[in-house]
Amino acid sequence: MKEFLLGKLDGHALPHEWFTIGGSVAFVLLGLFVVLVLTRLKRWKWLWNEWLTSVDPKKIGIMYFLAAGFMLVRGGLDAIMIWLQQAISVDGSQGYLSADHFQQVFTAHGNIMVFFVAMGFIFGLINYIVPLQIGARDLASPFLNTLGFWLYIAGILMINMFFLLGGEYAATGWLAVAPLSGPEFSPGVGVDYLIWSLQISGVGTTLGAINFIMTILKMRAPGMTLWKMPLFTWGSLCSMIMAATVFPLLTATLFLLFLDRSFGTHFFTTGGGGDPMMYTNLIWMWGHPEVYILVIPAYGLFGEIVSTFSRKRVASYTANVLGLIGVSVFALSVWLHHFFTMGAGADINSFFGLMTIIIAVPTTVLVFVWIATMYKGRIRFTNPMLWFLGFMGVFATGGISGVMLGFPPADFQLHNSLFLVAHFHSNVIGGVLFGIFAGITYWFPKIAGFKLNQRIGRYAFWCWIAGFCLSFIPMYILGLMGATRRLDHYDSSTGWQPLYVMMLVGGFVIATGVALQIVQIIASAIEKRRLRDTTGDPWDGRSLEWATPSPAPFYNFAAIPQVTSRDAFWEMKKQGLPKPVYEDIVMPKNTAAGIYISILAFLAGFGFVWDIFWLAGLSILGIIICVIVRTFNEHTEYTIPAAEVEKLEEARARATKAADAHKVADTGEDMGLREFIKVVLKWAWDVIRNKRWRTW
Amino acid sequence: MAHMVTALEKSHEEKVATDRVMFGFWVYLMTDLLMFAILFAVYAVLHGNTMGGPSDRDLFSLPLALGETLILLTSSFTCGLGMIAARLGKKNQVLVWFGLTFVLGLMFLGLEFREFAEFIHEGHTLTVNAFLSSFFALVGTHGLHITSGLIWLGVTLAFVWARGLNAHMVRKLALLSLFWHFLDIVWIFIFTIVYLRAFV
Amino acid sequence: MNQSTHDTASHSKREHGTTRSYVFGFILSLVFTAIPYYLVVNKTVTGTLLLATILGFAFLQMAVQMFYFLHLGRGPKPLYNVGFFVGTFGAILVVVVGSIFIMSHLHHNMMPAEKTMKLAEDEGIHQIHGQKTGACEGVHANHKITIRNGIVSPAFVEARLCDTLTFYKEDDVDREITFGSHPNHGTYAGETELTLHKGRGKMITLGQPGTYQFHDHLNPGTAGYFTVTP
Repeated sequence: MKEFLLGKLDGHALPHEWFTIGGSVAFVLLGLFVVLVLTRLKRWKWLWNEWLTSVDPKKIGIMYFLAAGFMLVRGGLDAIMIWLQQAISVDGSQGYLSADHFQQVFTAHGNIMVFFVAMGFIFGLINYIVPLQIGARDLASPFLNTLGFWLYIAGILMINMFFLLGGEYAATGWLAVAPLSGPEFSPGVGVDYLIWSLQISGVGTTLGAINFIMTILKMRAPGMTLWKMPLFTWGSLCSMIMAATVFPLLTATLFLLFLDRSFGTHFFTTGGGGDPMMYTNLIWMWGHPEVYILVIPAYGLFGEIVSTFSRKRVASYTANVLGLIGVSVFALSVWLHHFFTMGAGADINSFFGLMTIIIAVPTTVLVFVWIATMYKGRIRFTNPMLWFLGFMGVFATGGISGVMLGFPPADFQLHNSLFLVAHFHSNVIGGVLFGIFAGITYWFPKIAGFKLNQRIGRYAFWCWIAGFCLSFIPMYILGLMGATRRLDHYDSSTGWQPLYVMMLVGGFVIATGVALQIVQIIASAIEKRRLRDTTGDPWDGRSLEWATPSPAPFYNFAAIPQVTSRDAFWEMKKQGLPKPVYEDIVMPKNTAAGIYISILAFLAGFGFVWDIFWLAGLSILGIIICVIVRTFNEHTEYTIPAAEVEKLEEARARATKAADAHKVADTGEDMGLREFIKVVLKWAWDVIRNKRWRTW
Repeated sequence: MAHMVTALEKSHEEKVATDRVMFGFWVYLMTDLLMFAILFAVYAVLHGNTMGGPSDRDLFSLPLALGETLILLTSSFTCGLGMIAARLGKKNQVLVWFGLTFVLGLMFLGLEFREFAEFIHEGHTLTVNAFLSSFFALVGTHGLHITSGLIWLGVTLAFVWARGLNAHMVRKLALLSLFWHFLDIVWIFIFTIVYLRAFV
Repeated sequence: MNQSTHDTASHSKREHGTTRSYVFGFILSLVFTAIPYYLVVNKTVTGTLLLATILGFAFLQMAVQMFYFLHLGRGPKPLYNVGFFVGTFGAILVVVVGSIFIMSHLHHNMMPAEKTMKLAEDEGIHQIHGQKTGACEGVHANHKITIRNGIVSPAFVEARLCDTLTFYKEDDVDREITFGSHPNHGTYAGETELTLHKGRGKMITLGQPGTYQFHDHLNPGTAGYFTVTP
C-alpha cells in the first residue's frame, strides 16, 4: 500500500547532506521571501493578472530573462564549485566534494547552462523582439507560448527538486550517456530528475519553436517578404526550425532511456541485446544541432548590431542569410564528431570529419560579412558593439579549436580532454552568452524604456573578457598537457595545479563581471530619468522594433507598418513617418491554462521519478482535460476599438512629453562605480536614520 | 452592402487564421514524425538482437497486420469523406462518417491490443530483449497516438453533436483528419518495415 | 457574384478534394498495400530486391496519401508545408540511414574476438599479437591460369597449400570466375566471384586443401580445376 501511494519515496529522500540541506534551505528561504514581499505589498492579484497569466510575448520574454538570469547564477555557482574542487584536490587532499557529488555538480552545471540559461535567454529575446521586428501584434498561438514558458519553469523546478527530495542529481555528465545512466549503474533518482527536467522543458521548447515558425512565416507585416526580414528574425527562424527538427529526437531518446529505467526494457542496456552506443548516436543527433540552435539567433543579432553601430547596411545581406541557412542545414550532419573514438571506423570518421570542417565555411562567411560591414563604417563603441568585438575574438578561437577537433586523428588525442571543454566553452560563452548580453544591452531601452549604464557595462565586459582568458587559456593548455575533463583529483607531479588555480581565479573574475552586470541594471534604474528613451529609437536603429515607442505598448503597433525595403525603419525615417490610422485591434485574452498544464506536467514527471504511478496517471489525465477545455474554448480573444487605441496612444504621447520636460540634462558620462556606491550608501543611511522600513 | 463587406472580411480573417493553424499543426506533425524516426532507427538497429529468443518472423502474423492495415486505410478514407461533409456543413453526415472512423479506429486498437496481449501471455514482453523492446516502443507509440486521436475524435464529435457545425468545429475536424491521415502514413511504414520486412 | 462563388467552390475542391478523388486515392492505397503483401507471401522475388520493392511501395503509398488525402501542395501559396515536409523527410533520412550506417560500421569494427580472427585470416594476416590466425605466412610458389578466346590454359593446376593462383584474361569477353560446376556455385577459401579485367591478374591464396572446379559464370563452358595438397 505504501509502495503504491509513495513509490520509492521514503524518509531517506529528505535532505541530510550539507549541500542538499543548504540548497533546500536556500530555496525555501527564497520562496518565503518572495511570498512575504508579495503579500506585504498586496501584489498577488497584480502578479497573477499582469504577469503569470499574461500571453503578451513581451512580458513572457521578461519572465524568461528573470528565470534564465537566476539560473545563470545557479549554474555559475556550480562552475565555481567545480573549479574550487579542482584547485585544491591534489595529492593527499581530496578537496571538499566527494567524487560522486563532484560528478553531480558538473552534470547539473551542463544541464542548467544549456537548457535553462542559454535556451531561456534565447527564447526571451525571440519572444520580445521577433514580433516587434516583423510588425506583428502578437504570436500565432499565444497559448502555446505561455505553455512553452511554463513548461520551461516546470523544468527548472524539476532540476532543483533533488535538493528537497532525493538528495542526488545525475552523476552521468549532462547527456546522461548510457549505460552509465541505465538502471544498473545509476539506480538512484538523479538520472530520473535529469530525464524529466529535460523532457518537460524540451517539450516546451518544441511547442515554442512551432509557434515561432508559424509566427515568422505567417504573420509578417504587409510587404515584408522573407528576403526583407531583419537578420535576427532570420536567425530566430533558422534556430526555431532546427529546434522543431531536433528536440523531438531528444524527446524520443529520453523516452527510451526512461523506459529502460522505469520499465526494464533493453534499448541502451549492456545486457538483453541493448546497444549503449545507439544512445550516444541518438543523443548527439540532438546535442550537436542544439548548440547551433543557441548560437544562430546570436549570429543574427550580431549582424544587426554591427550594421546599426557602423551606420551602414550589412555588407551582404544575402551572404549573411545564406550563411545562417548553411550552418543550420550542415548542423544536422556532423553529430558523429562527438564520438570519433567510438570505433565506427575510418570511412565514417572521415565523412563526418569532412562535414565538420565544411560547417566552418558558412560560419566564416558570416564573420567576414561582419568585418566587411564594419569596414569604413563610423563605428560607435557602445556596449553591444563591445560584446560583439569580444565575441569575434573568443568565438574565432573556439571555432578554430573546433576545426582542430574535427580532424579524427587529432581528436583521438584531444577527445575527452580539457582542450575540448575549453573549445566548447569558447563557443557557448563567446558565441551564445556574449550574443545574449549584446542583445540585451542593445534592446534594453526597448524593453525597459531606458538605456543601460554604459560605463559599468564596460567594466562588466572587461571582467568577463579577462575572466574568460584567465579561465580558459589555462584550460586549453591543460588539455594539451593531457588533463582529462571532469577530474575531481590529480597528482601534483603533473604540474597542473597552478593552471587549475588560475582557472578558479578566472572564475571569480567572471563572477565579478556578473555582479557588475547586476549593478549596471540597478545603477541604470537609479539614473532612469536621465537615461530615458523617449524617442523609441535610441541607437538610430534600422529595423521595425525601433518604430514603436519604448517600452512597446501591449499591442506593439498602434498601426501595423507597411514594409517596402530591407532596413524598413531606416527607410521610413528617411521618407518621413506616416501618420498612423487607428483601427480595431484584436488581442488574445490572458489564460492560466499553461500554468495548470505545467503544474500537472511537473507532477506527472515527479510521479515517474519516484514510481508513483497513480500520480503520474492522474496528472496526465488532468493534462488531457485541460487541453480539451482550452482547445474547445472559442472565446479567447477580445477587441480594442479604434477609438480606445487612439485614446491610449494620446495618453502615451502626453506622458512622453511630460517625461521629456522632466528629463534631467544629459551630463554626458554615466554613473561610475564610486558614485553608485555613494548613492547606495546614502540611500541605506537614509533608510536607517529615518526608519523607513516601517512604511514598507 | 456594409454588412456584406464585414461578413466577407470576417471570413477572410477566419481563413487566414485557419491557414495559420493548419500550418502550425502541420509543423507539429513533422516533429511527431521525427520522433517516430528515432523509434524506426532504433528498431532498424536493434531488431536482430533477440538474444536467442524468437525472432520477428517467428512471432508476427502477416494476415493480422494486413487486417490492421486495411482497417486503418478504410478509417482514413471515411475520415476524408467526413471532412467533405463537414465543409458542406452536413452535420449528420459528419457524425456518420467520423463515427465510422471512430469505430474502425477502435477495431484497429482492439486488434493491436490482442496481438500485444498474445505476445505478453506467451512471455514475449518488452523486457525480454532489445528486439521486443523496440517493437513494443514503436508499435505501442503508434497505438498511443491512435488512442489520443480517438479521445480527440470522440470529444470533437460530442461537441459537434451538441453545438452544431460552426467554423471552429470544421477547423478542429480538419486538424483531426490531418492527424488521422498522418497516423495512417506512419502505420504504412510500420506495416512495411516491421511486419512485411520480417518475412523477406 | 455568381462567378466568384463558383471560383471559391472550385478553389475549395482543388484544395480539399472531392469524393471522387478520395475514392480514387483509397483504391490506389489498397492496391499499393496488396501488391507488396502478395510479393512477400508468394516470394515472387526475394532478398534485397524484395526489400527494395516493398519499401518502394511504402513510399508510393505515402505519396498517394499525401496527394489524395492530405492534399499536400494544393493549399494557398507559398507552400511552406511542402517545404517543411521535404525538410523533415531529409532529416528523417539522416536520422534513420545515418544510424544504420554508423551502427553497422561500428558493429563490423567492434566485433567479438573470434570474428576478428576470421576477418584477419580473410585479409591474409597470419598472426595477431603472436597468435596464429590460420592465414598463410610468407610468399610461396605462384601459379598462373590464362583465359584466351574461351580456352583455359592450363586447364588443371597442381599446387601446395599456401601457394598463390593468378587468373589472367586476354580476350575482350566479360569473365566472372566462380567456383564449383555451373549452375551450383560454391566458394573457395572465402572467395565467391572474381571479375577479370584484361591485362590485370586476380590472385587468390590457396589456403584450403582439396580439389576444386572453377568456371566462367558468364560462359560456363570455360572451366578448369585445381588441386591443393597440404
